[in-house]
Parts: sequence; structure tokens; C-alpha cells
Amino acid sequence: MAGRGRGRGSGISLTHEQIQALGIARGDNTPAILTPPPLFPKLDVKPLPLNCDAATDYMVIVKDQFIEYLHESPAYVKANTRNDGIERYSDKYKLLALDAKKGNILDCVWTNIPPELRPNAGRSRVTVKKRKLDDPKEIAKRLQTLEKKEIQDTSTEDMETNEDAVKKETEENDEELEDEHEQEEEIDDGTDYANNYFDNGEDYEEEDDNLDDGPVY
Amino acid sequence: MSRQLGRVVSQILNRYFGEIVEKVGNDLFMYGCKPMGMIIKSTGLPRTQVIESLRTLLKFDLATFEAKDVIVDYKLQPENILLLIRYPRYLLQMKTKYGSEAEMLVEELLQQASCTATVLIVSVMNKYKDDKEKNLNIVKLKDTFISLATAGYIQQAPVAEINNEIPVLVPVATIVPDLDVRELINAMNSNLNNVSDNIYWKVNYDRFHLDFRDEVMIKAVTRRIDDNAGELLKLMLEQMYLSSSSWASDSSPVPLTDLKDGCQRIGENMKNHVEQYLRVIEESTGFIRRTGDAGGGQYSVRIQHALIQLVEAVCDHTVTERLGGKAARIFRLIRSKKYLEEDDIQKNAMLPNKECKELTYKLLEEHFISVQPMRKTASAGGMAKAIYLYHVKLHDVAHVVRDMCYRSLHNVMSVSRHRRVLNARLLEKKRRVRTIVHGMRLRGEPQQNIDDVLDTLTPPEVTSAAEAERRLSTLAASELHLDRALFILTSYFTYQR
Repeated sequence: MAGRGRGRGSGISLTHEQIQALGIARGDNTPAILTPPPLFPKLDVKPLPLNCDAATDYMVIVKDQFIEYLHESPAYVKANTRNDGIERYSDKYKLLALDAKKGNILDCVWTNIPPELRPNAGRSRVTVKKRKLDDPKEIAKRLQTLEKKEIQDTSTEDMETNEDAVKKETEENDEELEDEHEQEEEIDDGTDYANNYFDNGEDYEEEDDNLDDGPVY
Repeated sequence: MSRQLGRVVSQILNRYFGEIVEKVGNDLFMYGCKPMGMIIKSTGLPRTQVIESLRTLLKFDLATFEAKDVIVDYKLQPENILLLIRYPRYLLQMKTKYGSEAEMLVEELLQQASCTATVLIVSVMNKYKDDKEKNLNIVKLKDTFISLATAGYIQQAPVAEINNEIPVLVPVATIVPDLDVRELINAMNSNLNNVSDNIYWKVNYDRFHLDFRDEVMIKAVTRRIDDNAGELLKLMLEQMYLSSSSWASDSSPVPLTDLKDGCQRIGENMKNHVEQYLRVIEESTGFIRRTGDAGGGQYSVRIQHALIQLVEAVCDHTVTERLGGKAARIFRLIRSKKYLEEDDIQKNAMLPNKECKELTYKLLEEHFISVQPMRKTASAGGMAKAIYLYHVKLHDVAHVVRDMCYRSLHNVMSVSRHRRVLNARLLEKKRRVRTIVHGMRLRGEPQQNIDDVLDTLTPPEVTSAAEAERRLSTLAASELHLDRALFILTSYFTYQR
């Protein structure tokens, strides 16, 4: 604050003469009551009247038609209908109208558009292979073969005589077992490492697709 | 990229494509360019809807995309969004200049944004097939299409160049196609899907803008001088298209003899007064200039100068309507004298001291004029006396006026949106009655039944619906008028760059 004492007049504030030179007289500067400006200020000047000729009328009609066309077309993106829980008579018709439009996709030149916007793009879900062992019949079959093998192992020595009879069967079983092994390998090959756990974040915050199936009564 | 522009752009998107596209567009406007993941995050919309909105925006050329490695960035094109309001004007231009066939073709093309020639012609044919009044003919449509392409009103859409995953759109030169009528008829009778036509077309807005620009200039000269002068300028503009590029700021000079030859068309009387007319146009508007004396005089059209004149007129008009005639006088005075001191304004404007100052400050406050302080250096006195020079920066004023246009456009659109919401039920009912009555008329049902249906709208409903419709159409008309002012301002800015 030091050094300000003498220089008061030369700062931002104006001297009396300067104020008068700007055209502000003594009485003009009475402080007005501060109020926020009105939301809809009164117009000082009335705007000029619009001159509407046939051409303007034509353009207005064309414009409305164009907007109507866009609203009907799939270019007009609609929100998912929210159900407020009140069943209305008109719901049926609204749903019918919606269903008619739902299948439509905007007709674009797909090659000119980034792949992520193309239909069915970037959404190739990894289909989970159904493990063969999930099937109860398969499990039963496998258990059977394993059981047989066990029995064989224990009785190979004392059932030499039976050998020939069983041989055919065991061969078959072995083959089957090998098959099983191969299958298992197939499954094992797809260990956790190879599984596609990578999430690129695209599905984050994605709403369930079933949401737009309409309200449930 | 002002705030007002953002507001009006989102309002337009809402009117034409609905709330969701508006949200996406607004988000893109705020952040410049953005990949899709970010849009989903910041708008909080489900992914499918964002995809749909982006498709809409890209289809109608309201946004562009650019690939960065694997990520695609989207960017809004606010200028193109503003053009949506101008669509009716394009159609009117087509109708007056080339007739209704051209109008139908352009309308269909504007609706489709881009499509192949075959699809375009066939779908127009199918649409108006039952209309006996129009009396469409596929040969005529084809000829119209070719003449539109030759005149440059439609052009080939950019072609995707696929280097990697993400396509890059590359503009191509338009080649006027050679369409076979027999193939068109075949396509019409069979399914459209098996047509192997892969050249896409779209509307060339620039060509329309050239027409509008010429129209404004001719109209200005006609108003200022007379019809003959307008015709003469039209002739000069036609000559200009032959010799120089259409958006050049000054046309290449045209010799007087050429103009005289052309004048034969306007009238014998005109031929004798060409020189006088040229002189008057040059002196009173400055749209043309005598550039040389060879060959009896050479004249060129000064497009850039003409647009400056037009924008000045727009600014004058705005000041007059906002602050009154006296303020407009001060504004014009400052503009003509370039730099003026406050005292000189008073003297020259011949207004009472106080009023003049008030108006000057008002102009300054609204940014119509700007002030340039000139400090006298090292004066002997303790206080250096400064001179304040007022002047008009046309470029800045044009910006101010453009922002005003945006603001009023936004206001007009939001009022009409409000009106539409208020009267939604009534208008919907009226529309339904109208479609029912139309269907009944087609089926030829007795008048009695039709009257019964018409009576479902009660007299008070009829009057209030008519009132609402009248208001809405007034608002729509004012949108179109605002767009005319915006057109002059934007074409001025294209020449300033």
C-alpha cells in the first residue's frame, strides 16, 4: 500500500473533469437499486414484420415435410421406451408402431463408415465350446470304460483265459480312452491362458439388449 | 465456434434428429473430436444409441471421422448442420430454375444424403408413380439427372480408400454418367438390390451457394439502380463463369465489346447505354471495376468487394433496428471517416451532445464500434492526455452480427419447440383426422360420414389449432429469413480467409 498516497488520481478512477468530459453530470450518477435483469426484457423496438410470399410458404411446407420424413426414418434415434408401470389402452398401438420401425437400420454406405459403426461389427462374441463331459450320458460311458479298465488291471493275471474274449473289447475301450485323451487334450489346450479374457472395455456400461424388448405385463 | 453456435447447433439437431443425436452432437461440439468410447462415457448413453447417432451424423455429413491407429476420432461439422435449415431454399432454387423433376431428384437425394443414380431415379419414379398430375417419365428424369450433374448441382460422393481396417474418404472428380434407360426400367421392374451401380452421388452445396450469391448481388443492383442494370450484372457474372474460377475474389476482365454483344439479348435500348450503366454500377455500388482501357474498356466483377458492401448493409440494418436511426447515422459516419474522435462525431452527426455520447457508448457496448486509444508520449504536464479514436472493424462487427443471428435462431427454434410441446395433443389429433378424412375420400365414402369425422374436432379446437399452426409457420418463416442473413455473413467470411 506504500507509495499509493499521492497517485490516487492517476489510477483507474477518473477525476471530476474527466467524468464530466464523458458526459456524466452531477445528478446522473445516483446509485440505482440493484436487481437482476428481467428474464424477458421489454423490446425497445418492435421487429419488422415478416414478408411472407408464396415462395416462403412453399419453403415452410417443404421444411416440414423434410423434418417429418426424418422423424419417420431410422435417422431419428429414439430412446428406449421407459415404462412407468401404468398400463394404457394406447400402449398396444404404440408398441406395434415401434416394432414396425425397430428392425430398420439406417441405410448407409457401409464401406464409407468406420468398422465399429457397421452392424454386427466388433461384437464377435467367443462362443463357449460345450464340454463333452457335461453330457450325463458321456460321463456314464466314460465311467464305464474306466471301471472296465480297472477290473482288467486287477484280473489280468488270474483271468488269462478270458483274455481272448476280452481282448476285443479292451481294444475298443482303449481306442475310446485314447479318444477321451485326445478330447481332454483339446480342452486342456484351451487353458486359462489361451482363453479370451481380454476385455477391451467396449461392453462396459452397456445396457442389456433385452431392455428394448418392451414392457412386460 | 462460439457458444451461440453450439446452442443453435444442438437445437437444430434436436429438431431434426431427436434428443439422443442432440446429446451426442453437443458432446462432440464441446470437446472438438473424440473417440466413441469417450462419447459413451461422457454422455452416459447406451452403446447402441451412440452408434446409431454417429451413423446418422456421418450419413448426413454432419460429422467426419479420422483414424488414429486403431482409434477413430469423430468430429462435428457445425457449418453443415446449419445448412439443414437451408434445404428448402435449395429445393426452391431447383424448382424455379429446372422445374419440378429436378426438385424431386434433389429432394430425394437430400433425404438419402447419398445414393446411386439408379436408386435415386427409380425411387423417385416409384414415389410419384401413382401421381397423374406429375406425369413422370423415366427418360425425362434421366435427362434431368444428367443436366444436374453437368451443371454441378450434384456431384460424386467421396470414395472410401481402404488401406487398413478404417476407411479414408477421398473426394473424386465428378464424371457425368451415361445412364441406360433400358437398365433403369429393368431396375424398376426387378429388385433394386441386384443393381450393380456403385457410384454414389450427393448434393453439391457450393454450387447452390454460388447461385444464391449471384442472386443477392443482382437483386442489390436491381434495387439500387434498375432492372436493366441487374440484367447487365447477370450478364457479367455469366461471362465470369466462362473465364475465371467461380469463387475468385475478382473476375478476370471482360472487354466491353463482349458485353455489348451480350446486351443484344436484353434490348436494343440497352446496347446504346451499356457504358453509362457500367459507370453507374461502378460508382454507386462498386460491384464492378474498370480495369483497363484496351478494347474500349475492360471490366471485372469484384465479388469480394461486393460482399463487403453487402455485409456493411446488413450491419447498418442491424444497428438501425436495434438502436434506432440516429445510432445508425453515427455508425455510418464512423465507418466512412475510418477513425474519428468523440468531438468530431458530435459535430458531424449533428446530434445533441448528450444523446450523441449516449448512442456512441451504446454502440461501443454492443461491440458495433471499437475504440483505439492514442497516448501522447512524454507530455510536459503531469497527466498525459489521451485521444480516443472510434472506428469500425468490419470483420469483428460481422462476427457480432453473426452471433446475434445464431442467438435469435436459437430463440426462434426454442420458442417453436415450446409451442409444439404445448399443442402436441391438438396438432396430433388434427393430423389424425386429416389422414382419416383423406383415406375416406380416396375410398369415395359419402360426404355425410366425412363430415361426421370432421366434426370430432370442435370449433374451439379448430380455431386454436389454426392459431398454433399459424404461429409455428411464422416462426419457421423467420428461421428461413435468418438463414438468408447468415448466408451473406458466411460468404463474406469465406472471402476473408
